[in-house]
Amino acid sequence: VRGIPRRIWLSWAALIALLVATYALAYVPLGRASLPVALTIGVAKALIVLLIFMELTKARGILPAFAGVGFFFLAIMFTFSFADYTTRSVEPATQRGLDAIPAPVLPGP
Amino acid sequence: MSSALLGEPPAAPHVEPAEQFASLHQEEEVAKLGIWGFLATEVLFFGGLFLAYGVYRYLYPGAFLAASRHTAIGIGTANTAILLTSSAAMALAVHAAEEGRRRRLFWCLLVTLLLGLSFIVLKGVEYAKDYHDHLVPAVNFAFEPPELARGAQLFFFLYFFMTGVHAIHMSVGLAVIATLIWMNHKGRFSATYSTPVMVAGLYWHFVDLVWIFLYPLLYLGGRS
Repeated sequence: VRGIPRRIWLSWAALIALLVATYALAYVPLGRASLPVALTIGVAKALIVLLIFMELTKARGILPAFAGVGFFFLAIMFTFSFADYTTRSVEPATQRGLDAIPAPVLPGP
Repeated sequence: MSSALLGEPPAAPHVEPAEQFASLHQEEEVAKLGIWGFLATEVLFFGGLFLAYGVYRYLYPGAFLAASRHTAIGIGTANTAILLTSSAAMALAVHAAEEGRRRRLFWCLLVTLLLGLSFIVLKGVEYAKDYHDHLVPAVNFAFEPPELARGAQLFFFLYFFMTGVHAIHMSVGLAVIATLIWMNHKGRFSATYSTPVMVAGLYWHFVDLVWIFLYPLLYLGGRS
């Protein structure tokens, strides 16, 4: 164990603690807050991995842009997709719906 | 561990940068930029699947929660712990490589490899259980109550697609780690040169990152 950098084993301990927390919280009836709580813990774990294990805290120059660009466009993809799905009411075109449309009146000969 | 297996050479080999680079340091910086660029495309590759999950969970909330109750939370949680620990071992491997400590590098890579293998084995056990429980869409899918079956089938299609693609990434990572162990055995790494370990480490951490979000979305829903 000698010579293991503090940042690595502390990060590992924090990750396992967050895993135990999210597992336990899944069984607590939080209603609609369940998903946001689980995702917040997920983001916390992801930040530990990104900043410490992947050493983004040491990133200089253009590297932060390379590391961030994927997440930036992912955010755009989610924002615009959900802006659509959450605001548009979908009217399924059922067979009954088609039948209800009056047949077009064709001009007679 | 015998020194024959580790193949300790008398001295660290002299490494020249590839001819387009002025120095090993520059080569390492470019390799780091390259793997991060690749990982950005991977973020969007998995991102599309996460978006599909998000949209269908929004459209079929009840069915998605009912379906996630059927995933094996014990195996899923154990695998999360295994993967987080393997990431820590990989971070230690990169650290050991940078310090030129080849024996420690070997052990850290071996632990990472074994943890990754146990993840894959547990995933196989889980898939067998899922098959046994009639949860495989288009093969033997059956779900109660029937009014939720449509949405639940979408959930399990995404479950198999996302965990399957993740497992393929894991397998690639394991092959890379096995190669690193072999390169270390051949004495390719030293305090002045360990770029392949750093690049493989970033890839391995990314695969861990994907799982960090798969775990709450596929296993934790509908438990309370």
